[in-house]
Amino acid sequence: MRLSGAGYLIKQGVRNILNNNIASVATFCVLTVSLLIVGFTGLFSLNINTFISGVEDKNEVVIFLADDADEEYIEELGNKLRADENISEVIFWSKEEALDGIKADMNDAEDIFGYIDENPLPDAYRIKIKDITRMSSTLYAINSYSHIEKVKAPYDFVNILTGLKSAITAVSILILISLALVSFVMISNITRASVETRHREIAIMKFVGATDSFIKIPFFIEGLVLGIMAGVVASLLTFAGYDRLIALLSTETTLFAAMGSSGFIPLESFMWQLAAIYVGIGAVLASIGTVASVKKHVKV
Amino acid sequence: MIELKNVSVTYKNGVDALNDVSLKINDGEFAFVVGESGAGKSTLIRLLTREVRADDRADVKSVIKVNGFDLIKMKQRDVHKLRRTIGFVFQNFMLIDSMTVYDNVAFVLRCIDAPTKYIRKRVPQVIGLLGLQEKINRYPGELSGGEQQRVALARALVNNPQLIIADEPTGNLDPRTSVEIVKLLKEINDRGTTVLMVTHEHELVKRMGGRLINIRKGEISFDDRI
Repeated sequence: MRLSGAGYLIKQGVRNILNNNIASVATFCVLTVSLLIVGFTGLFSLNINTFISGVEDKNEVVIFLADDADEEYIEELGNKLRADENISEVIFWSKEEALDGIKADMNDAEDIFGYIDENPLPDAYRIKIKDITRMSSTLYAINSYSHIEKVKAPYDFVNILTGLKSAITAVSILILISLALVSFVMISNITRASVETRHREIAIMKFVGATDSFIKIPFFIEGLVLGIMAGVVASLLTFAGYDRLIALLSTETTLFAAMGSSGFIPLESFMWQLAAIYVGIGAVLASIGTVASVKKHVKV
Repeated sequence: MIELKNVSVTYKNGVDALNDVSLKINDGEFAFVVGESGAGKSTLIRLLTREVRADDRADVKSVIKVNGFDLIKMKQRDVHKLRRTIGFVFQNFMLIDSMTVYDNVAFVLRCIDAPTKYIRKRVPQVIGLLGLQEKINRYPGELSGGEQQRVALARALVNNPQLIIADEPTGNLDPRTSVEIVKLLKEINDRGTTVLMVTHEHELVKRMGGRLINIRKGEISFDDRI
């Protein structure tokens, strides 16, 4: 295509926005609102997941060793645990340290310990799991090692956290997909009205030998420009509203108060990525939605 | 050149619009196509522009050739190439109201990605040929029916088509203007362009003379010079 032809098509696309101002404003509003809902749902999900991940990091599994485990084996086991990619931290906790800990906790009853000749507590390893969704398989592997007396893990805590995380992710994805579909259908319907008014223009284009892409490009440009505009406005509104919303939620809701305002993802860490996602989704939804409404007229 | 051999068209609702039609119109010919409403005239035009396709019959080999294109074998993505060799004139003019006379005519060349320099040279030339220089910056709503149809003719001509298909071009015009438009079509034909004009105005056809193709119930019932 010639440069002058491309320029003409771009001009036509922009002209369409101005000529069909009601449809353009409606498309722009639908997109902006959808992007804001998508954005805030995504941010809500991300913040909750970050919070849960923070809690996850506090998980601890204790591996008690059998009395017959000698020093050489204990060291070998320590190396095996450190080599496991799902274990982030391995601390050896000797039976002496365990007893000292109990003594420290029960300092008003130290007489009791005078009756104990031999330390009855086992040696242990205290480990932290990286990804708690894979905790079961990691612990299954540990249980298969010899000289393991018992493995104590916070199963209930892990189940609740992983369930919550999965539920939030699933709901967020559902909202995102539903909104994308609703926006797409709404944009197609809004632009269909303006396409109907240009039915004659499209028919003439077909009769004089314009290619399908030549007919679709101005509509594509129209959607693209509206989508980019909606993305930019949604970004600005999110930048302006995010910190205020955090402040409000931190003071008004129990869950978010527990996170504290420092528990939220700071705006600066995601603002440009979010703007790019907004503009990208807006541009794709609007341009495809607009072109879809032209499709039936092009089939001549 | 238009060549049809054993062509039938049956619509999805079962209506037989054309029944085993054979027809040949040579380059540079002028032919009137007449017939009652529903006789198959519009289907014939839609067939030539590849809006509809001929029935695919196992027992008969159909042929449809227009301006060197084989419409039976033609792929959908190549239809625009065929249409660039045809100029269309419609009963209701089909002009874009928001465009000036100049832009309506230039629109055709823009649609086929012609160079801007060529558009600037060619469009005033064709508008001049049709005697519309004075109206070049007017909008269709500011023109009479005859003038609008002349703009439509300019638009059909601007791309130097091999064939002009005029579908009831005088249907919305008074008798005097109708004669004027047909004379313009004859002039265009004299310069070598094939013209196929669909009409139901028998009086006008008798007055102008030439080849007459009469379609009746989907079949050609008469094809000769009058």
